[in-house]
Amino acid sequence: MNVADLTLQADVAHWSWTIALFLWFVGIAGMGSVAYYFSRKAPLAITIFASLVIGLLLVVSHLTRWWNLPVTIFYAVLELSFNFQSWMFWGFVILSVHLVFSAVVVLANIPYLQRFWFLRWGAVLNQSNLFLGGFAFAGFMATVYSGFLISTAAGVPLWNTALIPVLWVISASVATVAVLELFYVFGWVEEREAAFGLRIGMGLDVMKLLAVLAFIHISLTVGTMGAQIGAERMFSGDLAMLTWIGVIGIGILLPLAIGAFTLLFGKKKPLLAVSAVAALAGVLFLRAAVLLAGIWEPLVI
Amino acid sequence: MRLRRGQKPTRRLAHVWNEANCTACGACIIACTATNAPEMMHREEKGWNSLASNIRRIESANAQGRPTMLLNQCQHCEDAPCVHTCPFGAVYYNDDGLVAIDERLCIGCSYCVAACPYNVRWMHPDNGLPKKCMGQACLDLVAANQQPACVQACPANARDFGDLNDPNSSVTQTLRRLPNRVLLEKAGTKPKYFIVESAS
Repeated sequence: MNVADLTLQADVAHWSWTIALFLWFVGIAGMGSVAYYFSRKAPLAITIFASLVIGLLLVVSHLTRWWNLPVTIFYAVLELSFNFQSWMFWGFVILSVHLVFSAVVVLANIPYLQRFWFLRWGAVLNQSNLFLGGFAFAGFMATVYSGFLISTAAGVPLWNTALIPVLWVISASVATVAVLELFYVFGWVEEREAAFGLRIGMGLDVMKLLAVLAFIHISLTVGTMGAQIGAERMFSGDLAMLTWIGVIGIGILLPLAIGAFTLLFGKKKPLLAVSAVAALAGVLFLRAAVLLAGIWEPLVI
Repeated sequence: MRLRRGQKPTRRLAHVWNEANCTACGACIIACTATNAPEMMHREEKGWNSLASNIRRIESANAQGRPTMLLNQCQHCEDAPCVHTCPFGAVYYNDDGLVAIDERLCIGCSYCVAACPYNVRWMHPDNGLPKKCMGQACLDLVAANQQPACVQACPANARDFGDLNDPNSSVTQTLRRLPNRVLLEKAGTKPKYFIVESAS
C-alpha cells in the first residue's frame, strides 16, 4: 500500500484559528444561556450576547464571499433552495434565534433602557421561565450545532465521530463554569453559586479529560488512515504541544489541581482567576487542535 | 437545469481516465486551467502546492519504489457530500447528473471543500468561489456537444467523457470492456470518475 497526497484541511479549506474562536465563542454563549436559567445575572447576559456577536462577526469574516450573504438569502428565500440536510443551514437558524433571545435578555438587564415603555416587554420576558427555557434550549442547540458542523464534514475523517458534539457540550460547560468563577472573583456572583460551580467544574473537567483521551485513542486505534494520521499529529506530532500542554495541562489538569486545593484549603480568588483563565484557554486550544489536526483521507494509489 | 429532490437526471455524464494509456504529460491539467480559469495559469493552489486546476496530479511511489501517478478531480458523485452540506443549495445536481454550483447562492463558507472526501475543491483567491471540475467553460463546451477541455487536450486518448445511460457511448463501452475502479468506494458517495486499469 502506498500513501500519497497528505493535505491539511487548514491549508485548503482554511478552517483554523478563526473558526476555532468562532466555535469557542458560540460554546461560551450557548452553555452560558443554560447557566443563565439558574443564575440570572446581568454580567452573564452581557457575556452571552457579546460572545455571540463576536463569534458571528468572526465566522462572517471567514466567508470568502461574505458580501454575497444578503443576495444569497434573498435568492434562497425566493427559490426555496435552503438545504435542510445541512447542519450549517440549521446553524444559521439556531444562531439567529439565539441572537434574538440573547438581545432580549441583555435589553432586560440594562436598567437605563427600562425607562422606555416600549422596551419593558424585555423585562417581562426575562421573568418568564418559559422564555428563559427557550433561551437555554437555543443556547444548548447552538453548542450542539457547533459540534455537528465539523462532525459532518465528510472530507476530514478525524472529525467524523459522534464524540465531537458531546465533547463540545462538555468543554463549553467547562468554559461557562470558568466564566462564573471569574464573575465570583470580580464579585459579580455570590459565593454559593461559585462553590456549586467549582464542584460541577471539577466533574466536568474529569469528563472532558476522558472525552479528549477517548477521541484521540479511538481515532488512533480504529480510525481510518486519515483519522489515525490526524490523531497522531495531536498525540505525538506537530500538534502534541498544543494537545498535551494547552488542552490537557493548562485546560484540564491545572484547573483540577486548583479545584482540589480550593476544596482542601479554601478559596483564594487569585488562584480561582488563574484556574478560570486556564480552563477558558484550554477550551479554545481543544477546538484549535481538533481543527488543525484534520487532514483528508490519503488516496491510495 | 437544477434537479429537484427525487428527480432523476436525464443523462449520467461521467469522466473516464485510462491510467495505462496516460503518459503523465499534464496537458489535461494545463488545458483545464487555461479553459476554465486562465487568470490562474501562473498561480498555484497553496494547499496543494501545485497549479490551481480542477485536475490534480498526485505523485508517489509504489512498494517497489517505482513512481506512480494519479489524476484526481471532482467525481460528480451521485450521493455527493458537498451537495448535502451546502447550506443554501448553491451546490446542486444538474439534469446531466453533474455536480454544479450556483454562484448567486454561494457565500464562500468552504463547507463543500471540507466535505469533499476526494479533496478536489479549491478556493479561488480572487472571487472566493469553491472551484472544481467542471468549470463553466467546460460546461459550455458540453452544451455545444463538444468534449471537455481535458479530453480534447489529451494526446494519448487517456481521457473520455460521456453518458453512462447511453449503452452506445464510448465511456459505457470502455467500462464494460476494461477493468476499472473508483476512488474511496467505501465512502458510499457513488462517484462517477472511473479509472481504467489496462490499455485500450
